[in-house]
Amino acid sequence: MKSISLILPAIFLGLLAPTLSEYQIYLLSLTLLWSILALGMGLILGYAGEVNFGQAGFVAISAYVSTLLRTKLGFSFWEAAPIALATTVGCAAIVGSITMRLRGPFFVLVMLAFGEIVRLILSNWQSMTNGPLGLRQIAPPEPIFGMNFQSKLSFFYLILAVLTLVIIAMIRLVNSRMGRVFVAAREDELLAEFLGVPLMKSKVIALSTGAFVGALGGLLLAPFLTVLSPSQFSMFAAVDMVVMVIVGGAGTIVGPIMGAIFLVYVPELLSFSHEIRPILMGTLLILATMFIPSGLAGFFTPYIDRFISRWKTKKASL
Amino acid sequence: MLEQQIANSLVLGSIYALCALGFTLLFGVAKIINFAYGELLMFGAFFTLTAMNFMKVGFFLALPFAMLILAAFSVLIYLVTIRPVLRGTPLQSLLVTTGVLYVLHELAIIIWGTEPRQMDMGIEGAIEFGAVIVTYPRLIAIGTMLLLVLILYWMLYKLRIGKALRAVAQNRAGAEAIGLNVNRVICFAFAVSGAMACAAGALIGALYATEPSMGGAPLLKSFVIVILGGLGNVFGAIVGGLLIGIAETLTGSYISYAFKDVFTFLIMIFALILRPNGLLGGRNQ
Repeated sequence: MKSISLILPAIFLGLLAPTLSEYQIYLLSLTLLWSILALGMGLILGYAGEVNFGQAGFVAISAYVSTLLRTKLGFSFWEAAPIALATTVGCAAIVGSITMRLRGPFFVLVMLAFGEIVRLILSNWQSMTNGPLGLRQIAPPEPIFGMNFQSKLSFFYLILAVLTLVIIAMIRLVNSRMGRVFVAAREDELLAEFLGVPLMKSKVIALSTGAFVGALGGLLLAPFLTVLSPSQFSMFAAVDMVVMVIVGGAGTIVGPIMGAIFLVYVPELLSFSHEIRPILMGTLLILATMFIPSGLAGFFTPYIDRFISRWKTKKASL
Repeated sequence: MLEQQIANSLVLGSIYALCALGFTLLFGVAKIINFAYGELLMFGAFFTLTAMNFMKVGFFLALPFAMLILAAFSVLIYLVTIRPVLRGTPLQSLLVTTGVLYVLHELAIIIWGTEPRQMDMGIEGAIEFGAVIVTYPRLIAIGTMLLLVLILYWMLYKLRIGKALRAVAQNRAGAEAIGLNVNRVICFAFAVSGAMACAAGALIGALYATEPSMGGAPLLKSFVIVILGGLGNVFGAIVGGLLIGIAETLTGSYISYAFKDVFTFLIMIFALILRPNGLLGGRNQ
């Protein structure tokens, strides 16, 4: 039932897209891409209760590995994708098994350092990554099953499909036994461990799953932007994802998506200047943390519930 | 050659230690990781520069003045943004300080522009110890670090407020129970940490360049140093700072300059695997 209510907007967007201008499609694609990235962060932040400032590093690994496989070794997008995803998840599992033993602030700081290591390697390994100048003119994905991704619209459908799959998978995950284990570990580590929850294992899985979703975003990011440079994957990129999750509502699936819409689509639509945008992000992060800890999703839920219940009683009285 | 490298690393290490002092003090007392600390440092450099231009005085007269202003600024940030979430989860204070980082960074770009500026200490020349040459400004950086460390120790162990700081650091609830005004003590910790950040920022600004993006590297280095030295450990911050200074200079000159920061981070991660509470941290902190 719940997944149907989420698929309907996807179908609606899909039907709406051909009528939109190229700029609107670009904007929608960007919003959906950020939704994927925010969902990856939301899994770690909302369900495992840890801030992962190194998430941009995972996105970068996936984007760079897939692009380099295509340009240097002549792989197609579809051949490079599984390798890039596997590399990212492998890195996350290794990093996770080291860092997840650390409690409290140490985890945050080490993940931040991890993100910086990735960024520094990307900007200094000149012969491979072309350094700070980055990789340019990344081609759109090759045609597959008779589908062609040359146009902006077709690429938008690809992003929409990936996002829909991610949402369905995440709903299934958080309602599964593993999802409840994540929450148990978030709420009370000691109690969870006492009850026999494999704490380390579940945390590493949470980190790796979050990295996997981020890697999916990274895969699409490269051909969407057509350029990759290390500066796109600084700590600020990870903080952007954190802001989306917190503003939208941590611990929900709708939250990160609402956050992405609110922070990518709305500022562009109102054409805020690029100087104002980070200040807006920072102020929103402070205000949301202080005043609406459950985010936009949590803020509107009571109103929506009241509306639905009122509608139901009206229907019953008729 | 090696002697010169060691002298260079001592200078770098002193600057790093100075950066980490205010950061670690704040964590020790208030249990807050202040992500905006690097931006405070940058504001310190700009305040010093502005005071020099505005009052037409030298670096060393402008610095104490800027330290006072930045201390007040740091307290203001605490009162407006951090105090409301002080009793919340650690995640909340972390998110709020990250928000402050964003706002301060962009404010600096809007106010001062992205162009790097020169800040002149007004002192030139160098001193020679055999084959080793150290310029006076760099010597002053070491001297300032030592002076501030002495003042910090004097304050922490000789003054009444220092006792209060240590009490809150050890047990906030206990300090509250014996009638300490914890809020005021934390305010004071923010002021001291702000003044320290200003000194560190002004020195970095004078030795290298003053620009809005100068806060990122000291923040990351402070993280590494406090992890090596133990979070909230003042002595550990000095040892950690010097260690990182040495490690960075040596790997930079003998292995690879481009990858020196990567080595720094790797050292930190390995240290954490071996001792999850920091090199000097206790086993159960």
